[in-house]
Amino acid sequence: MLVDLIQQLFNGLVIGSIYTLVALGLTIIFGILGIAHFAHGSVAMFGGYLTFFFIQQFGIGLFPAMAVAMAVGALLGVVLERVAYHPVRNAPPINAFIIALGLTLIIEKANLLVFGVDQVIIPTGFDRVFNIGGVTLPELRVYILGIAAFLVVAMTILINRTWMGMAVRAVAQNRPAAILMGINVNTVSMFVFGLSSALGVAAGVLVGALFAVAPGVSGGLVVKGFAVLILGGLGSIPGAIIGGLVLGVSEAFASAFVSSAYKDVIAFLLMIGVLLIKPEGLMRRRSNR
Amino acid sequence: MNRLCMLAVTTALALLPQMATAAEKTLTVGVSDALSGGGAVYGEPQRRAINLAIEQINAGGGVHVGEDTYKLKTIEYDDKADPTEATNVARKLIDRDGVKFLMGYCCSASTGAVASIIGREDVIMLVGTAGARAITAAGNDNVFRTRPPGDYSGAAAGRFIASKGVKRLGVLATRDVALFTQYRDALIEAFEAEGGEVVALETFGGQDRDMSAQLTKLRGLEPDGYFISGYVEQVAFAYRQAYELGITAPRYGFSGGSAEQFLSVASSEALEGVWDLIAIEFNADALGDTAKAYAKAYEERWDAYPTPNSAFAYDQVYVLRDALEAAGTVELDDVKKALRNLAVPEETVLEYLPVDGKMFDPKGQAYISNGAFQFHNDKWDFVTKLPSDSAAYSAYFQTITK
Repeated sequence: MLVDLIQQLFNGLVIGSIYTLVALGLTIIFGILGIAHFAHGSVAMFGGYLTFFFIQQFGIGLFPAMAVAMAVGALLGVVLERVAYHPVRNAPPINAFIIALGLTLIIEKANLLVFGVDQVIIPTGFDRVFNIGGVTLPELRVYILGIAAFLVVAMTILINRTWMGMAVRAVAQNRPAAILMGINVNTVSMFVFGLSSALGVAAGVLVGALFAVAPGVSGGLVVKGFAVLILGGLGSIPGAIIGGLVLGVSEAFASAFVSSAYKDVIAFLLMIGVLLIKPEGLMRRRSNR
Repeated sequence: MNRLCMLAVTTALALLPQMATAAEKTLTVGVSDALSGGGAVYGEPQRRAINLAIEQINAGGGVHVGEDTYKLKTIEYDDKADPTEATNVARKLIDRDGVKFLMGYCCSASTGAVASIIGREDVIMLVGTAGARAITAAGNDNVFRTRPPGDYSGAAAGRFIASKGVKRLGVLATRDVALFTQYRDALIEAFEAEGGEVVALETFGGQDRDMSAQLTKLRGLEPDGYFISGYVEQVAFAYRQAYELGITAPRYGFSGGSAEQFLSVASSEALEGVWDLIAIEFNADALGDTAKAYAKAYEERWDAYPTPNSAFAYDQVYVLRDALEAAGTVELDDVKKALRNLAVPEETVLEYLPVDGKMFDPKGQAYISNGAFQFHNDKWDFVTKLPSDSAAYSAYFQTITK
């Protein structure tokens, strides 16, 4: 029983770490720019396809391919911000909302055109399975946990310990005051989109390695990402981290102790529960703005 | 003499258009199938198989219908295995393209949606891999299906698993595709009737690729066998994750995927020894020379080995050809009548079990043998046929409507 409990905890943490990466990308955009970037899942799938392409075409390993794909993803994020969102920055929020939906369709269809309809599984070569006291730890899943943890720590340092991170936090806290202090909001917007898309690409690569990159996968990712956002608190980085892990573990435990038929319902029950008890989310203080 | 020449020339000129018309007659067949998305692993091979059969028939002189000879051609659309999309495609084929014969149809949900409206239309619908029972059980007189319903195979599979000495079975199955749920329910009923116990029934959804939590739960209940069913991609992931969880008990399944499709997801080690208990779809070892010739032709045409389900669609085209030739007209009522009385065409790849000497029973349903295949050394080995009584099942089938 204890072995199964630990196994389910491990299963949940692995999936939760992917949810966290997706949610982090969504939360920094929402927290700083107030945009619900629905195309994030499609950008993640694009990154997964791109990594697969690099590995197949150039014979490079997973990590270098992933790093290049993240760089390309960051660039794509900047382009999306400039071309799609920047022109409507002063328009009513519904404009950005519609653009987000349009971008989702465009990137999804572009993925189909460029990479085809077949599902793609990113080859990793991480096939070993470790067994510790009856708990099985597949090598790939251990790496996924490690990569997700590394990216979360790196992002936290970037946001908390760098000048650009300070600028991002300043814009998030009080945009007019940040402008008055001489912060270039345009640069911050581009940086945020670049960072978010790079994280999205990382999530897409991990999904592609563990499961598959395929048409239709992005929708589910974004839904889970937004569920985590509401769970952890809109715009809260610690909320995205905790929320993702809570959601992943809850799903695994729901399968084990309730019913696998209700696994996906759990995400939404949790969301409703948190909205009722703590509407601002698990990790967000009540706003007094 | 001049008048005679003029008469000959005039007669020849008058005949020319008729001759040209006879030579150029074309019958358009509408193909609706999943060509993208999760269902494409079944739909695209069906599309290819239909085109292969059509090319073969056209190269052999076409379809001889009464005095006319028809060449076949297709109009193809991607229904994405989505019910709404498939219904839109059917409307487009019927209303805009004026097609009278529809074929393809790999996936149950999308095909079920079309089958529910097709009874009111002046068309004939030939269904391939989609196995949900209601598609033909509803009793529309213009729907014919080459693949038997899921529960026809499920009961045989349940008895087979019990015969292998499995007493406690853990079940993991997709929950939202009628073909698989009907198969699963029939399997459980037959398995329990043989004295077996199902320790737990776990499910997964249409887009799920992570079944670790469900498999961990089943592992904790220590069954002495597992049954896993769903579309090939999902089942392959389940086998991969079962291997990662250290599950070594016998694994039985129902998905019908090719070895290549499974190996693109899971390793040889993870798949070694896995069983697939299915209606005997295309398998060169199990079906002999016709199947080998089909595999060769398919491979030459498409540079890929045919998937097991593709033969359902290939056979549809020969069924249509024989029905048209037997009817001697393209009038739908006559073709439907011919289909009801059709003997199994010579060129069909699969081993059909006729009911009262006819390929299709009164509800337009055909039956084939069931078989057990085991994954060994990177391929599916045919092990044995499973006892299947098409006449008895058909008698039961006439009494139900969904």
